[in-house]
Order: sequence, then C-alpha cells, then structure tokens
Amino acid sequence: MSTNFPIGWVLRASTVGFAVGCRLLQPNTPHFGDLVKVALQPDEIDIFGLIYDVQVKDDPAVRQLILAGEMEPEAIMDQRENRLVPIEISVLVVGYQQNGFMIQGLPPQPPLSLNIIMVSDEADLRTFTENLDYLRLILNARQIPVDELLVANIRRATFAHPPEQQYAFLLKVGRELARLLNHDLVRLEGILRRIKPVVSR
Amino acid sequence: MINQNLNELDQFFPRAATRQLGMVISGSLSKGVEVKLFPEAPVESIAVGRYIVIEGLQLQFFGMITDVTLDNTNPQFEKTPPDVSDPFLREVYASSSTFGRLHVSPMLVLDDKNEEPRPVKTVPSHFSLVRLATEEDVNLVFGQEDETHFHIGEPLDMEDVRVHLDLTRMVERSVGVFGKSGTGKSFLTRLLLAGVIQRHAAVALIFDMHNDYGWEIQSEGHYKVKGLKQLFPQQVAIFTIDEESSLRRRVRPDFVVKLNWTEIQPEDLETLRTTLDLSDNMIGTAYTLRRSWGDKWIRKLLTAEKYELDELVENSSINRSSLDALSRRLERLERFEFLQENWAGDSAKKIIEYIDKGTSVVLEFGRYGNSLEAYILVANYLTRRIHQMYVERVERALGDAAHEPRQLMIVIEEAHKFLDPQVARQTIFGIIARELRKYNVTLLVVDQRPSGIDEEVMSQIGTRVTALLDNERDLNAVFMGVSGANALREVLARLDTKQQALIMGHAVPMPVVIQTRLYDSDFYAAMGFQEPEELRGTRNDRVTMMRGAVEEGID
Ligand SMILES: Nc1ncnc2c1ncn2[C@@H]1O[C@H](COP(=O)(O)OP(=O)(O)OP(=O)(O)O)[C@@H](O)[C@H]1O
Ligand SMILES: [Mg+2]
Repeated sequence: MSTNFPIGWVLRASTVGFAVGCRLLQPNTPHFGDLVKVALQPDEIDIFGLIYDVQVKDDPAVRQLILAGEMEPEAIMDQRENRLVPIEISVLVVGYQQNGFMIQGLPPQPPLSLNIIMVSDEADLRTFTENLDYLRLILNARQIPVDELLVANIRRATFAHPPEQQYAFLLKVGRELARLLNHDLVRLEGILRRIKPVVSR
Repeated sequence: MINQNLNELDQFFPRAATRQLGMVISGSLSKGVEVKLFPEAPVESIAVGRYIVIEGLQLQFFGMITDVTLDNTNPQFEKTPPDVSDPFLREVYASSSTFGRLHVSPMLVLDDKNEEPRPVKTVPSHFSLVRLATEEDVNLVFGQEDETHFHIGEPLDMEDVRVHLDLTRMVERSVGVFGKSGTGKSFLTRLLLAGVIQRHAAVALIFDMHNDYGWEIQSEGHYKVKGLKQLFPQQVAIFTIDEESSLRRRVRPDFVVKLNWTEIQPEDLETLRTTLDLSDNMIGTAYTLRRSWGDKWIRKLLTAEKYELDELVENSSINRSSLDALSRRLERLERFEFLQENWAGDSAKKIIEYIDKGTSVVLEFGRYGNSLEAYILVANYLTRRIHQMYVERVERALGDAAHEPRQLMIVIEEAHKFLDPQVARQTIFGIIARELRKYNVTLLVVDQRPSGIDEEVMSQIGTRVTALLDNERDLNAVFMGVSGANALREVLARLDTKQQALIMGHAVPMPVVIQTRLYDSDFYAAMGFQEPEELRGTRNDRVTMMRGAVEEGID
C-alpha cells in the first residue's frame, strides 16, 4: 500500500461524515481505521476521513440463494462479484486540506455523490498525523465505536512511521490522549494498553 | 502564537546551553511563584536552593527554588495510581498526567536597560519560561571581586561562581553569625574579619572567648589554622587577659589587659544580671554603695568587717539580705587575676590607641574563656568605655567625617548573654545595636541560640549569616522581619552540618546559600600571606591533609 488508490464512490454525505459505495472488497482494503481522502475538484479541497464501519447488505439474489440451499462455488463467486447492492463504507470526517494547509476539523462543504474515494498512502498518513487535533474529533463522535476506531487508526499511523520513530510517535499520541481523557482514567488506561508498542524502545 | 513568542525570547535571551525547566503557572509576590516542570526536566535533579531565571515578557526575574512538589492533573491518580508496570504507560503518565512543581521565590529583577539588579516589585506573567541560572546570571547578581566586594563562598552546586559580600555595606550595620555548635561559625567569622581587615572596611575589636581568632587555631581535624595576626601582622594586635595562656600557646601578646577594681561600675553588673543571678534589689544596692563609698565600692564591700556593714545598713535604705547576697555574688570575681587593686594603666585607652592607628585588636580570654562572668564583665566594661569615647569624638567632629573616629566593629560571642530581652535595653551592647551607625560602632555577634537575643536588637542586625539551625525558635528569630522567610526556612533547615551558610541582608543583593570558602593556605595566599621559606616544600601535603580532614568531618 504505497500509493493512493480508489476504493469507491460517495453514496451519501454530510459535513461530519459520508457513506461510500463500492463493488467489492479487495483482500487488503479498505480496513477499519484507514485514512481515506476525497478530492473536491473545482475548490481543490481534499477531505480526509476515517473508515469506521463496513456493511455488506443483502439483496434479493442472496436471499434466493440462501433459500434454495444449494450453493455452487460459481454462484457464490458470481454473487460476490456482481452485486445488486453496493458494499457500504462509513467514514468519519476528521479534516481537510486546502491551499496546502492541513486542517483538522470539519470542511466547509461535504463531498458530493459519486466523488471518488481514495485510501491514503503512508506519506499522507504521516503528514496528517503530524498534528493530533483529530483525536478529539474521534473522541467526540457519537454512535460509532470510538475507542476501537482510535486504536485501529493509531496502529496504522504508527506503522506508517519508520521503526526508529514509532516509539516517539506513540508517546506523543499517548500524551495527547492523557490530556484529552484526563477525566476518565479507566478509559485512558484501556486505550493506552492497546496502543502500546509491542517491543518498547 | 506561542511558538512565535519562544522564538522572540530566543533572540533576546540567547539560551546558550541551558534548558528550559518549566513555566510559571501561578503565584504571588508575597508567597512566590509556582512553576510547572516540563516532562523533560527530571524532578530529582532539581534541588532546593538552586537559582533560576524566569524570562518574563519584559523583565528577567532572578530567584531561588524554595520547594519541590509532585502534582497531577487528576486527584484520582493519588487514590488509584495507574498500573505502571509497563514502561510505555509509565512514560506517558509521567510526562503528561503527573508533573513536578517548583516553588520559586523571585528576588531580583534584571532588565536590559538597568545594569544593577533591582529588588522585585511584581511577578512574571503566566507561562513565562523558567530555566536554571547560568554562571553569567549569577555573576551578574553577586558582582565581581573588587575593593569592597569580598569573596565569601560559592553558591550551592555552582563551583565556578563566587558570591561576594559588600563589606562597606556590611560594616555599616550590625552583623550576626548564627548556627548550631560546630557548624563553622568561628571559621565564617574569621573569614568575614579577614575580609574587613584586608580591605580596611573597618577596624575590629574582637572579644575572643575561645582563642579562635588571634594565633594558630586548633581545628577539629587536628590541624592548625592561622589566626588573623598571622595573616595581617601589621594590622592586627593581640591583647590578652590571661598572659600565661597566651605564652603557653606561644603567642606574644602586644598588651596584657588588666582592670582596676575601681573601674567596675554598677552599670557593668547590669549585663551580668542573668549570669551572676543578680536581682533588681542587688543592683539597686550596688548603685547605693557606689554613691556612699565611691569608686572603691566593690573592694570595700568584699573586705568590709561585719560592723561596717551593720553601720551601712543602719544609715541607708539598703536591705541587709540584698547586701549579703550581692557580696556573695561579687566574691566570685575575686578569682579573676586580671582584676587588680594597684593597676594604674588604662586598658580601654590602650585599645583605642591601636584602633586609631587602624589596628584591629583581638582580646584573648585564655582560661577565662570558660568563665562567662569574666567574658561578659570585661567585654562590657571595655565596650562601655570605648563607646563613650566614640560618642564624644563623633559629637566633637560635628559631622565632619575627617575628624570622626574609624568605623569600628566589635565582635562578641555567646551574644544572647549580652542581648537577651531582660538586659538588652540597659546594656551597652543593646544600645550599640539599636543606635545603628550613628557613632561609627557596630556589632558582629556570634551565637548559637539567636532566639535568646532581644527582638528589637535582632531586627537591627543588617546582615545575617546563618549556618545550620534546627531549633524552631532559633529559625524564627533569624528570619524575623525577612520577607519570604518561610521559603528560606526550608533551605536553611537543609544545609549541611558544616561549611554551608545562608547569607541575607544588607551585604548581599539577595539571600544566598553558600558553600563557605575554605579557610586554608589558598585563602592565606589570597590574603597576601607568604609561607616562610622552610615550609614551602610541604605546603601541598598540608593542603591535601586539610582538605581530607574537612571532608571527613561532614556527615
Ligand atoms: N570555611 C571553612 N574552612 C575549613 N574548615 C572549616 C570551615 N568551616 C568549618 N570548618 C570545619 O568545621 C569545624 C567547626 O567549625 P567552627 O569551629 O567554626 O564551628 P563553630 O560553629 O564555631 O562551633 P562552636 O559552636 O563549637 O564554636 C572546624 O574545626 C573546621 O574543621
Ligand atoms: Mg566557635
């Protein structure tokens, strides 16, 4: 995963988040916690978000197959590759880039239907995580598995750094989380335990 | 925004090698400021008593760390400490949720326009950065050695910086040297006096109770150190009231002090009130006796026949029992050989003669050093006479400095015996302490129990040099009238048991804890002393021997 590549198109959107539809799941992507990017063409704004949910919805063909009970491998393959309803990926908006400035906050406008969604590469991830204000956006999100998302995203971001910088990065994240979660030490400890480096320095 | 400020600061105050320690988070002028330590500054490396510089927006503040505490962002950390068995978690907590805190007393303001540091009148603004003071900062505060500035020691943890006392200011007011027994009071006093004598800041009259100042002094480590007469043979004379003892120690005294019984006046007994256990009635009796019998009253009382006393009681208001009690008390003075009946000289005049020539006088007490009565009696009598002459001459000079007598500093030990609240009001030492420099006489008092000194006198002691003290009341006494005293108490209570002292007051720009300068052959050399030829070869051996011994002594 070293270059940006498209995973789907915007289905529905709002300023705080959007849904992405895609035809099929690649083996490695998209992943829970991945940083994705939508380029809004005329304004040259890139909107960044984190994947927090992937839903594979049923459709009449699947129901029929299940009721028929006989599943030929070809039928299963065909059903997976030529779906009637797209796979739906939910994204939490965490920032945008405009005129070269990275801002961790909500963009002035949401993306539009059928804008293309790309998965960010490691360089993008490193640039984005130079600033950790987005952690607060995650923590404040409603009705999504916040702690899981946080942990998954931090893991990804850590591995986007060269090994000798990973500990320092984690420490920086840990301190920011300690600041943000100062009111809830049990939760803080839970998260720290899960992001802690496997082999520390 | 903050980053921009940091950069500006860097431009104005190049940081050199010093690291930022933390930032100001709260405080007040009266109580001092609170500094939150940055995670990179380890609490354990920061000691009370260290100097710091606070970079305010417009001013630079110079201050001292007076307390170090641990704090956290959530009190829950104290009740249920987190699991820190994992090094990562530990490091995260240690560098964010928990932190060290310094209590700092700002003492001076250094600003670019003004060379001289000034006393603080405000506090640095929020979030001002705090760093350890560099040698340059400290040197700026304590000045360079010059005609009036005398090197007395180094600030703790800063071996290459020197603290200088302003001797001229020091001798203008009374000085106190305090500390428990064995903490280095006599050594400190000798250092101060050496400075005063070498720089001609004043002439000293030293009532040397334990033969600590004149000649070869036995130190605890069984080596000998030089006395003031050895360092300044031209400027110091040794007087003694115990010639035998002086000769035994191979001191050739310049003069043997004797007193005639007739010279002792009831006024001199006032100071002995506690030591001789004299009541008001007995002192009253003494005054009456002098009135009826004149100068010879003591001898007459001690040699009177019973019928003479009966007669006296009959013809005056004197109470018989007071008279007998007084007589019994005064009998104790009979064993003092320096009190004589036919002595025609004038010891006080002799001292003045030397003082007028600019020669300091060390008066050795020899074996009488163990007798407080002798010490107080002689010191009181001589001081009373000398002060009287000073007052007359100053008044005659009518403000013409050229005709005024030289600045005189009188050194007494066990000062609380002279200056306890019961006697301080009437006695000559109390008077000198209170009248300030009006008559060019000040005191240097050496004492291990400052709480015994009258408060009013204490408040007049301009420079206080204090080695370790641990008694609560003594600490209170030493800090009386000092602003920010509470903070300094912490520092004082933590001094080493030897060779460290807190200096505050008139002679220093701000209170300072020093490692006292070593009183050794380097010091002798700095005072201009030349080793006699035949000793030179062994000098280094002796230096190492001395240093070794000194270190052993510190426990
Ligand atoms: N500046 C110094 N240089 C070298 N040695 C020192 C110095 N200060 C103190 N000492 C050592 O500490 C010992 C005790 O010092 P000192 O005799 O001055 O104590 P003190 O307070 O006068 O005691 P006391 O109350 O018994 O008179 C000295 O004998 C000497 O060994
Ligand atoms: Mg002593």
